[in-house]
Amino acid sequence: MTGIFSQIWAVIIMNIRSLPRRLWMSLAAIFAISVVVAVLLSFLSMVKGFQQTLEGTGSEDVAIVTRSGSRSELNSSMSRDTVNIITTAPGIAKNADGTPIYSAELYVIVDGIKRSSQTEANLPMRGISLDGFALRDQVSIVEGRVFVPGTNEIIVGAGVLREFEGFELGKQIKFGKTSWTVVGVFSTGGSAFESELWADARTIQSQFQRGSSFQTVRIRLSETGNVDGMLKMVEDDPRLILDVETEAGFFAEQGEALNTIITFGWIISIVMSLGALAGALNTMYTSVSSRAAEIATLRAIGFSNISAFFGTLAESIVLSLLGGVLGALVSYSFMDGLSASTMGSNFTQVVFTFELSPELFQNGIMLALLIGVIGGFFPAWRAARLPVAIAFQRGN
Amino acid sequence: MSKFFSFLGKIYRYLWLTITSPIWLPFWCIGWVSDKIGLSNWIADATMGSGAYLIYKNLTRKPLRLFLTVFATFIAFLIYGTITAFQVALDSGVELSADDRLVTVNKINFTQPLPISYVNKVKAVEGVSGVVHMNWFGGYYQDPRQQVLTFAVDQEAMLDVYNEIIVTDEEAANWKKNRQGIIVGKSIADTHGWKVGDRIPLSSNIFSQSDGNSTWEFDVEAVYTGADAQTDTNGVYIHYKYFNETQSFGGDYIGWMGVRTADASLNEQVIKAIDNMFVNSPFETETVPEKAFNKAFIEQIGDIGLILGSVVAAAFFIILVIVGNSMVLSVRERTGEIGVMKTLGFKSMRIFRMVLGESLLVALIGGGLGILASYGVTGMINSVPNPLPTLVLNSDVITTAFTYVAVLGLTTGIIPAISALRLNIITALSRT
Repeated sequence: MTGIFSQIWAVIIMNIRSLPRRLWMSLAAIFAISVVVAVLLSFLSMVKGFQQTLEGTGSEDVAIVTRSGSRSELNSSMSRDTVNIITTAPGIAKNADGTPIYSAELYVIVDGIKRSSQTEANLPMRGISLDGFALRDQVSIVEGRVFVPGTNEIIVGAGVLREFEGFELGKQIKFGKTSWTVVGVFSTGGSAFESELWADARTIQSQFQRGSSFQTVRIRLSETGNVDGMLKMVEDDPRLILDVETEAGFFAEQGEALNTIITFGWIISIVMSLGALAGALNTMYTSVSSRAAEIATLRAIGFSNISAFFGTLAESIVLSLLGGVLGALVSYSFMDGLSASTMGSNFTQVVFTFELSPELFQNGIMLALLIGVIGGFFPAWRAARLPVAIAFQRGN
Repeated sequence: MSKFFSFLGKIYRYLWLTITSPIWLPFWCIGWVSDKIGLSNWIADATMGSGAYLIYKNLTRKPLRLFLTVFATFIAFLIYGTITAFQVALDSGVELSADDRLVTVNKINFTQPLPISYVNKVKAVEGVSGVVHMNWFGGYYQDPRQQVLTFAVDQEAMLDVYNEIIVTDEEAANWKKNRQGIIVGKSIADTHGWKVGDRIPLSSNIFSQSDGNSTWEFDVEAVYTGADAQTDTNGVYIHYKYFNETQSFGGDYIGWMGVRTADASLNEQVIKAIDNMFVNSPFETETVPEKAFNKAFIEQIGDIGLILGSVVAAAFFIILVIVGNSMVLSVRERTGEIGVMKTLGFKSMRIFRMVLGESLLVALIGGGLGILASYGVTGMINSVPNPLPTLVLNSDVITTAFTYVAVLGLTTGIIPAISALRLNIITALSRT
């Protein structure tokens, strides 16, 4: 058997070293496969980036309470009384003085001008108290300072600053009749909160005619991921028509909205792969017919047809791998880290960056390999069954 | 070992033939039938003089290669047709918007409310011929994931301002009479199987009734169709009065207003008049033409046009490389033959036309089949209930597609055609 393996190896090496002779056909196959892989990875990295942003936003240590059935912060609303009741539930972490750690917040939408399209887009403006900062990991003021409660001052997320116009430090912004001053820029380590404007909750209540109502409450849990105490309270108290969920679960659900794009990306890439497969088959059949004399010679001096088979298959796989890696590199250099924003399930813009992770890279290479294997199999089959005598005739 | 391989190969080959049969079987049938009834010979006789026979013979010299290049072209145009139909459908909201219609929203953002007293003030503005106010209901049917685009509207003005909504006069009268009546679009009605006379529950993810219940019951009074095949028919319209009196939030607020002007040339003047009227009030307004509003709304999702355009460009790029390369190759293989033809007295220009005709024919067959198949695919997508607007391959798309067919045929053929044209007989014959 070692004979067979060394034969196969010899033929593989020979085929690959003779690739430059079939330069243009080989390049065509490589290009076709690389474009397919680049398209697939672009779609996948877009969705991955979006989902990563939302997943990074939610914490397992924080519960989010919304009005039952609202499914988003925007649609939710609740009275001051409801907030007071739910924050007495068991399972809530307490301050040193025994008060529950929570943040009652408002969520309104204002217009911002998107830099990329120069059109108005929905930006979320969050009414928050200074306690709310403690409920978010990694909040830091990167420029300026925090707003002073009771004033028309806002701080803007780093994502907003990147994708939208007119939110630079010190700028005056008009929302309807009221005017606001940007006093700071904050970062939350790339999470969806960076796509928001933050201002004092009570100021927003009065400026947006919200009375004393809130939209959501975030509550620090005493035990990670455990919201049972609050759920039981909601069940027992008919005044509470609320949904309680960990913040992580809440945001993960919103990321699922883009799953259809993954499906779309895969369908498009697979259909395109059929085109690329036709190219690969063409290349490999041409390669086999141009090597006909060579293959026949090898057969005549005692090489087996199995070695001809694997030699051709290996050539195809090498081409497809080159194409796959090239496509992945192209989409990595163009897509990875690209900043964009889209409409999230809160009806507002979520700023995110494309992310080409190693597992997506694997997906791309697998697709390329599949094209290579199928595209090499049939031509390899022909190579293996090439009748020696006829091949010589054709060669002359 | 080799027996096993031959067995495996057979299975593989037959499996492959079966899977791809929808593609090759029609050709095979056409070929078989035309051989039987003598059509092939007749075509050969008829085309012999014109040179088309040579193109035909050259094309079919390597059937496998022909199939592969045609198939690659087929895929490119299938992608083109289907994606462009998507794009046209997405743009239809912008394309179909009426020129003489404006949208008045709260200046802060269109999700912020306006007082209902504004409606009469806007109606009185000179040049305004109709005003309808609307509220977003946040509707869903049974499961919060099954969103229904539900609007609470002024039923008296709705059908006049939005005249692309088509219902019979009788249905319109019934809807206006019945407080709990709704009109539903054909697309959403088909999705959920709603019919005229049905009583259906719709829930809101924003509002609730005073008893805490967030589900309302409605009577389907009409299923509307669109004035244009691409008019979106996923909307549901309920009475504002019924909605406002039963919801518990209180306040006579509306979401926005659709404003019809007497003539599109009055738009500028009407926009200024409306927005100036409410300047410095607690609810400042922003009035824009409907087209601009819809465009901005779609762009909120992102530059879909760019994404879809890049996909189509990528598909064409692949095909250009594959088909172009195999054309170059097939002409290079024939170098000796072309030399012989030139020796026999074939004009260079005729050989040039022959090669170009070959590449054009490949593009035409593959492209034509691809466009035909995209008809099938879009038809299939339309036939299953989905939230998308109707996909239509209109004549613009088809014309552009055939322009691309011609461009593809010319670009892939031009280099080999020129090299065949320039080919020197002596080098051609000595190369063999």
